[in-house]
Amino acid sequence: MEDYKFLFKVVLVGNAGVGKTCLVRRFTQGLFPPGQGATIGVDFMIKTVEVDGEKVKLQIWDTAGQERFRSITQSYYRSAHALILVYDISCQPTFDCLPDWLREIEEYANNKVLRILVGNKTDREDREIPRHIGEDFAQRHGMYFLETSAKEAENVERLFMEIAVELMEQAKCKELPKYDGSLGPINGKTTSVGDSSCCLRS
Amino acid sequence: MDDDLPTDFQVIVVGTGMVESIVAAACSRIHKNVLHLDSSDHYGGLWASYNFDGLQKFIKEVNSDPEKQVQVYNLREQWYIEKESPSEEEKGEAKEDGKTEPSKKIWSQASFAAEYRKFNIDMTPKLLFSRGPLVELLISSNIARYAEFRCVTRVLTWLDDHLVPVPCSRADVFATEAVGIVEKRMLMKMLTSIVAYNEEEMNNEFKDWNDKTFKEYLTHKGLTPNLIHYVLFAIAGGTDAMPCLEGVRECKKFLMSLGRYGNTPFLWPMYGSGELPQCFCRLCAVFGGVYCLNRPIDSVETKTVEEGKTKVVIESKSKTLNCEHLVIGINECPKDLVSPEPAETCDISKAVFITNGTIMKSEKEPLTLLRFPPLVEGGGAVTVLEVGPATGSCPKGLFVVYFITNKVSDAETDLRPYADKIFDLSGGDQTEETDKPKCLWSLFYNVKDTSGAAGSAAAGVHVCSGPDAGLDFDRAVEQAEQIFKKICPGEEFLPRAPDPEEIVFEDDVTHGPEFQREDEDADGDAKE
Repeated sequence: MEDYKFLFKVVLVGNAGVGKTCLVRRFTQGLFPPGQGATIGVDFMIKTVEVDGEKVKLQIWDTAGQERFRSITQSYYRSAHALILVYDISCQPTFDCLPDWLREIEEYANNKVLRILVGNKTDREDREIPRHIGEDFAQRHGMYFLETSAKEAENVERLFMEIAVELMEQAKCKELPKYDGSLGPINGKTTSVGDSSCCLRS
Repeated sequence: MDDDLPTDFQVIVVGTGMVESIVAAACSRIHKNVLHLDSSDHYGGLWASYNFDGLQKFIKEVNSDPEKQVQVYNLREQWYIEKESPSEEEKGEAKEDGKTEPSKKIWSQASFAAEYRKFNIDMTPKLLFSRGPLVELLISSNIARYAEFRCVTRVLTWLDDHLVPVPCSRADVFATEAVGIVEKRMLMKMLTSIVAYNEEEMNNEFKDWNDKTFKEYLTHKGLTPNLIHYVLFAIAGGTDAMPCLEGVRECKKFLMSLGRYGNTPFLWPMYGSGELPQCFCRLCAVFGGVYCLNRPIDSVETKTVEEGKTKVVIESKSKTLNCEHLVIGINECPKDLVSPEPAETCDISKAVFITNGTIMKSEKEPLTLLRFPPLVEGGGAVTVLEVGPATGSCPKGLFVVYFITNKVSDAETDLRPYADKIFDLSGGDQTEETDKPKCLWSLFYNVKDTSGAAGSAAAGVHVCSGPDAGLDFDRAVEQAEQIFKKICPGEEFLPRAPDPEEIVFEDDVTHGPEFQREDEDADGDAKE
């Protein structure tokens, strides 16, 4: 068996071009992908981190471009433990779309899912959304808030580590959304959490 | 604003039903340039799952504008409960009383609406055989990672005016008291010869049974009436008229899928069958497929560009889209592109019930397949699926029950007599202790069976049929593979998609490949 104690599914949403893929790749691979080329064949990325001496595996899912014409499959949201909603601080329209995203999240995601609002691209000089506006929005909708720069590696590590810490805490108090009792994946590999013991692997 | 939609593709797929979605995934997987559209704002077409709100919208749409959903008709919705919940006072009392013995929740139309998100109601509920083509495809293509499943926990049938469990596994057969020891031997022997049945080299056991019924065969083998009932109706899902070899094939399918995941040969997708087309769409998108819902098409035209080459031109929202191949769901397809329907299609009668308890008590939450023999002369067998909250189909305390049969007159006439056997359809007090669960809501509807009408009238256009009445997805998978082979002759159908650990990014190469293969993981893959 692989060596980790918890497995969490983290999904990213937000308009096209806000830097979702860059955040994931900065965190999982430590690099900022040059150019805009869509990464063909990439489904989710995995990184194992350590929290309080315990190994936590984060499975981070990207939208596969389906957000471009607002056509994300509902099944994308299923079984997510944490949901990162991303906008671009230098692009007002990506912020204006947040209520639409929230509606979709309300509709399809588990209502106990951990929600984080992220304003990305703090490296940009042409900021359009002041920090406090993002903070206010997050607070009003019961979300955590963070500003990041995937390019400068600012707050990216922190974003995912805080998610790991928070989810682990919840898992220990058994407050996580439970996707209990299901048979889970049929190919014998763990891609999602499978029983009432939350994410604890025996 | 949405019109930065590219216009030229190798393959355009219209409709997100099961067949269309599998074809889209298969084409994209081998790096065809794919655009996938749907006229509505959700995935699945006639194969969709709806939450309760979405279902209400669907019903309204069909009733107010039948032209929009020509495949669905005779739709009838009925409530058996009050509009509003009882007043707060009454509730409070019930709670205090219920401290020692928790009283049943009293459901109202308002409480359904309040919990609408917790419902996932399928228009085309189907099971997967554990070793059937869809499960094998999900595993071999690695699409299985997008879905979760639960095992069907029991198979029931209707015998002597009662619900009875059908022994499924070898252990079940030997444990059951319903079958005597001599019968058990006989049954096992017969099942063994069925498993040995091979279509190509017709073995001796079945060579003289080509023109006889399965029932005649079972009788000939000396099976008692009860055993014949189990095998014919519950395992083969047949009727008295079922041809012998068809019965043998159905039985074999059932038997071969035993012992892989649970005590029955069946799997049910978490959150409903409507999840499955989406899994294929996700794979299509991961490999570069472009997705656009809410995008109806206005017209389709085919043009011969040069000798033997066609171009398909689609008009959609005053934009012209071009492709070499158009794959289109029958529900989205302009009539002139569908080849004339074969005369003898049999439409499908369906019903959905929401009840306040299971049809037969069990220790753990059950997931049930019930197969009714025909209750009237000349009627068809009726398939019933009961799914509970653990499958993500409904809120706690409720069950969703699907009925499917071939249409004789109309859905309600065909199915109500069967529902009457296992539900209390009288409405009234929900807390009342009854031996049958109360039905709280029901929906009857007919669906056109278009599974035979998949031909196409134009080159470069591939029409996908709608849902069939079968228990599984086998026909959809088969049809999708056929269409794919026409579009991409000689190409592999959905080769395994790599795991995230195996992907080397182009732009990493200069830094040296970063990924590390986990050996154990790779071993695990090789096995499946």
